[in-house]
Amino acid sequence: MVRWELTKFKVEKTTENILSSVLTFEAKIVIPETRKAVVVVYDGRQFTAGGSELKPDYFTYEIRPKLETLLQSSLIRELSTHSRKAEYLRGFSLTKISVYPEGTFANLRYTYNDKFLEFGSVLVIPPYKGWDKLCKVPLTVETNAVSNTKSFYEMLTEICRSAVRVYVDVENVNEILKIILQKIGV
Amino acid sequence: MQSFLIETKVKEPIYVKGVPTYDLYLEKYPHMTYLHVNGVRAKELPAGADYQMIEPTLINYFDEVCQPFNGNADIDVEDGTYLPVSIQVNGKHVFQIERQATTFIMNTELSLNDIKNLSSKIESVFKIKIIPLLKRVGLYG
Repeated sequence: MVRWELTKFKVEKTTENILSSVLTFEAKIVIPETRKAVVVVYDGRQFTAGGSELKPDYFTYEIRPKLETLLQSSLIRELSTHSRKAEYLRGFSLTKISVYPEGTFANLRYTYNDKFLEFGSVLVIPPYKGWDKLCKVPLTVETNAVSNTKSFYEMLTEICRSAVRVYVDVENVNEILKIILQKIGV
Repeated sequence: MQSFLIETKVKEPIYVKGVPTYDLYLEKYPHMTYLHVNGVRAKELPAGADYQMIEPTLINYFDEVCQPFNGNADIDVEDGTYLPVSIQVNGKHVFQIERQATTFIMNTELSLNDIKNLSSKIESVFKIKIIPLLKRVGLYG
């Protein structure tokens, strides 16, 4: 199998009203040997890889449900409790992606409206062996969802309480990437 | 534990060098076993005997806060919540929470489990032991 590196992974859902919401997705995979980059995009209508449209079925039945699951994370639900506005955006992305011999590490960034929670570095590819590893390794944590130190500490507790869910999210990212890599023939 | 500094506000003033003072800072200097209040040795103040009596217990409680760190540790605890906001070991930050505008940023070499255990220990020593002891002798509001 050709060696590949993930450099972008971002899914968002924007909501105008109860009846209208748009899911968008973007991932970027780089093949270091050929220095080729494949950008996979779903813009709400078309699913493309490297500019070519892929069969919509792949997206609808295999990828979309997993992306939707990422946006149902308990951490996004927690962020929603800190937002006074009606939902207009929720998102999940990987930031600060770095490749090391033991795997790909990244920060996990959860978004709800203008509130975010980002923590890392988390071993994303392959995932940690065991959900409980998350709170046993050093993590930086950044958030604008809380207003005081006590609430910030409660957010740290919430991350650990959601460790199983975070593990599932990372597994989902891997599943999505596996499907994409098959479709683009890497 | 070598030293500590804790700021307190009291309801009844403490007379420091004859001046009624509400804003107090309690200190223990390195290599000394005495408590100082606003730079004056506690036992020299009007209720000095009371302060002197709590000195060993108070110092033991601060020892308890520092006990998880064998080396040279410097711990900053937030006023009111008694939650740690910064921990340096041998002059190097191993844990720090900063606030930049509306964003809280935590950098650390500790795991979240370690942070939870440390913070609940520090918080409980302050809430259950240190603060009630200081209140008992009128050194905390």
